[in-house]
Amino acid sequence: MIAIKSPRLRTFLRYAIPFVLIPAAVALSALIFDGQRYLIISLGIAVLALLLFMTGFEHRNIGSRRMVITAIMTALAVFGRFIPLFKPITAICVMTAVYLGAEAGFLCGALSVLISNIYFGQGPWTPFQMLGFGLIGLFAGYLSKVLLRHKWLMILYGALAGIAYSFIMDIWTVLWYAGGFDWKLYLSATVSAIPFTALYAVSNVIFLLLLQKPVGNKLRRIKIKYGV
Amino acid sequence: MRFTQLNPFAVTVYYVCILAVTMFSMNPFLLCIALVTSVLSAVLTHTANRKNHLFSLAVFVVAAALNPIFVHKGLTVLFYFNGNPVTLEATLYGLSAAMMLTSALYRLRDLSKALTSDKVLYLFGRFSPKLALLLSMTLRFVSLLRVRWRRIQDSQKALGLYDDGNLIDAVRGRARVLSILITWTLENGIVTAESMESRGYNSGRRTSYAVYRVHAADVLFILVCLSLTALTAAGIWQSKAVYYPEFDMRLFSPWGLAGAAAFTLLSVLPLIINIKEAIRWRLLLSKT
Repeated sequence: MIAIKSPRLRTFLRYAIPFVLIPAAVALSALIFDGQRYLIISLGIAVLALLLFMTGFEHRNIGSRRMVITAIMTALAVFGRFIPLFKPITAICVMTAVYLGAEAGFLCGALSVLISNIYFGQGPWTPFQMLGFGLIGLFAGYLSKVLLRHKWLMILYGALAGIAYSFIMDIWTVLWYAGGFDWKLYLSATVSAIPFTALYAVSNVIFLLLLQKPVGNKLRRIKIKYGV
Repeated sequence: MRFTQLNPFAVTVYYVCILAVTMFSMNPFLLCIALVTSVLSAVLTHTANRKNHLFSLAVFVVAAALNPIFVHKGLTVLFYFNGNPVTLEATLYGLSAAMMLTSALYRLRDLSKALTSDKVLYLFGRFSPKLALLLSMTLRFVSLLRVRWRRIQDSQKALGLYDDGNLIDAVRGRARVLSILITWTLENGIVTAESMESRGYNSGRRTSYAVYRVHAADVLFILVCLSLTALTAAGIWQSKAVYYPEFDMRLFSPWGLAGAAAFTLLSVLPLIINIKEAIRWRLLLSKT
């Protein structure tokens, strides 16, 4: 894996990609392209997420190890999406982000959506989902110190992330349905999505409770042993 | 050369062309051709089994029925259903939409059979080799995880540690299997990374296992595809179908007929290539 040498470029990309470039690409896919060329946009987002991932380390060896571990966590998230109703994607993204860094969390979220949608159906919603899960991972990574010190905060974060994700997807619903943004429609969409919002939040809490200790121990062990 | 042996890029161009025409024209005549030829090629190349055909039939019936039930635009009323008018125009529109959906479904299934995962990676590799590697690695891990899950579960059962009897035992057993699975795969992943580095990953341009050269036949095929699609698009443009308020289509204009002919040829192009190949094979056999 290539490491980006210049620290200034790294810092610039670290904030420019998740907060400017990828949201711009998602907005582009929703508004200008009229939701038609979503697959190209999704692949573009995946490349950007990979670039963001590269800003997270300074040495090549660490990059390769971290990439393989992130690929495994992504595969676990995809694997877990076959469980009916309760989906562990958020829990696995949060764990990845907390132990392997915010950039790895973003990559895990975005890729697990892109890959699991190969099985569950790609569509104009893919870029939005990628951004949603990516941001959940990214912020978990930013908050990793606090989340690791207080375990209950991680669970609270999972619950809040489920609600926030539902709100982000409701923006997509409104844009798709009305062709533009409208507050009234947005409110009614969020109200009608309450069962899903609750389901997301509950399944995040359940999987974080189940996975926090065993997966956390294993990731910490790998981190200490190999310096990922 | 059979159709699936063409360069993956040529195969992709073909399906993009045919799906674009199918999905963006609401011309009932063209859609009828699209449906018939897509079913024909699915039957002749064995890309769909009986279950797939039944599913497609269900999609067709539902899609065709939904529009006239919910849309009451149009001037020609056929009969009244629950006090609402069912119009000829809405029925025609529903039929066209159903033909579009069904033939697109058949073509997409063909596409996934024709473009196997190694070909997809070959195409993606041009776009971004790093992303292609990451995607293929993750896809591989998904199936690896499934295999290992089964293996761990079997060994746990053989050891007598796994019980499906009640819910708590089942969940605890699965949690233990998951824990073993994660430990195994993470440790294994580090080995993979080390092995990649020591074999010179990222020290040069990445080559792919399968080599697909661009032959003259591929270029010719792409050119024929694109010109037939252009002719079809011109035909669609000249004989646009208007459904509401009254159905209107200038079908028998020369451009419309030329477009339909071009589209028919485009739709059966893979079949022609395969049949030509079969005939050549028979001839070669009979000579020896």
